[in-house]
Amino acid sequence: MTDPAIAVRGLTKIFPVPLHRQSIVAVRDLDLRIEPGEVYGLLGPNGSGKSTTLKIILGLVSPTRGCTEIFGRDSRLVKSREAVGFLPENPYFYKYLSGEETLRFFGRLCGLGGAGLRNRMDELLALVGLTNARKRRLGTYSKGMLQRIGLAQALIHHPRLVVLDEPTAGVDPAGSREIRDLILDLKRRGITVLLSSHLLTQAQEICDRVGILADGVLVREGRLQELIAIENQTELIVADASSHLIEEIESLINRSNAKLIERRKSTTTLERLFLDATTDRREP
Amino acid sequence: MVAAPHRGVSFSRVLAITANTLTELTRLKVFYVLLVFALLLIGSSIFMAQFTFQQEFQILKDISLGAMSIFTSLLAIIATARLIPQDIEDRTIYTILAKPVPRFEYLLGKIGGVLLLLAISTVVMSAGFLAVLYIREQSVLHMTLRQMSSAPPEQVDDALRAVRSSGLNLDLFPGIIIIYLKACLLAALTLFVSTFATTNIFTIVVMAFIYFIGHLQATAREYWLQEHSSGWITHLFLAIVALLFPDLQAFNLVDDIVAGTAISLGVFLKTAVLGAFYTTIYTLLAVFVFYGKEL
Repeated sequence: MTDPAIAVRGLTKIFPVPLHRQSIVAVRDLDLRIEPGEVYGLLGPNGSGKSTTLKIILGLVSPTRGCTEIFGRDSRLVKSREAVGFLPENPYFYKYLSGEETLRFFGRLCGLGGAGLRNRMDELLALVGLTNARKRRLGTYSKGMLQRIGLAQALIHHPRLVVLDEPTAGVDPAGSREIRDLILDLKRRGITVLLSSHLLTQAQEICDRVGILADGVLVREGRLQELIAIENQTELIVADASSHLIEEIESLINRSNAKLIERRKSTTTLERLFLDATTDRREP
Repeated sequence: MVAAPHRGVSFSRVLAITANTLTELTRLKVFYVLLVFALLLIGSSIFMAQFTFQQEFQILKDISLGAMSIFTSLLAIIATARLIPQDIEDRTIYTILAKPVPRFEYLLGKIGGVLLLLAISTVVMSAGFLAVLYIREQSVLHMTLRQMSSAPPEQVDDALRAVRSSGLNLDLFPGIIIIYLKACLLAALTLFVSTFATTNIFTIVVMAFIYFIGHLQATAREYWLQEHSSGWITHLFLAIVALLFPDLQAFNLVDDIVAGTAISLGVFLKTAVLGAFYTTIYTLLAVFVFYGKEL
């Protein structure tokens, strides 16, 4: 039996508040199991414990109780991070470095060097669409470009697991869609993705399973389609139907025990409308 | 290509962080302002021609070595104080430590960058100072030769020897090395303070206190021991004070150099070992605190 990409057991994190008797419980008795190759969304409002959970998984914060493992290794061990790439929320990186210098720096931290590192940098800059901006300093990058270079550094050492904290926070819809496409590409390559977000529509588009945190407690968890499905309802989307056909369908429904809840024109999404209107105007 | 297997300690990782820290620090505007200040101070001392050459060389050495000591100390504190808080604020620390990088390697890389910056600064300032001293010495030598053209050769030799002995000589180098080691000590102590400080302002204020207490504590200790009995409790207390507030006056060899007193090898080695010991201890304490720090 293969080890799960992430295993979290009985995780609790309590932050003491200096000079106060009370303390803050950020995460309470959390159990998670994320299988290799899954895209898992950790959802919840601000302050629900998502970032704390991710930091504990990455060994940046120590748990008060419980344990976390990455591919069977205690995540407090530095060695466990060989398999992990991480993109923090709103990353800044070093503004004085260019895109390729940033990747070289993080590559060297992972033990890469020479021609292998150069090839990997070329590959990742192409993947995130920053080949033309590779020599520019990060201080001149837009928010979306920073997220993309952040994703590239997270992937520099071929991790089997990528942890993304609010990967599209503050990014415009086009940039957000590019990041979403990159995550889907990671999934196709068999890389496990754990992402935290409070942007539910986006999580719905890319996650296989989700867990919803509220006040540090996991209140819902499961396969996305199962969680959001309404058992006793069915949607039919029909193109080019005549009004006569629609009336016949409605009359069939009325003759049965079923009930027509809503009849409306299909619409596009606001995101789709925005992208169609702005894509051609975007600078490379 | 797959990343190389993780090693417990990697010189290459430390070097990557050191190089990056040095790049980061050389972009600090404060660094250039302080460098210009030090160079101006050294340069201005060449205009003291109204004194005798002994006085002129003394003042030149006094001002230049004093400026180097203050500048390297300030640079050590200001540059180190911002390193960790800045990385935490920008979240770059998360990205680095989420890679297979042990925390002690991160700190070693950071302090390595500061020590390298201090070494470069010390070399640059020393080169400027020694060049000015050499030029002034040559000028005085030529002037002496001109003025004593009709004097007996023994008198000329004595005069030239007097100029050379008060000008550029090897006794300056131990003093410069000790100035560098004092700056290293201050950098390591600042790194230690910054591991539990929340802002770099707090670190700088604490370090300013430590700097002044460190310069006064030797005098205070002597006074205390004269006034009180010297039992083991007193010695223990003084040892703790000495660890928290290093005796910075022990690193002040400039007065002896300016007075023309040669620093003995014993004093130099003792001071150098003390500097290296403090630097190591403070770096280890910083690592210890940083391992328990919640990021």
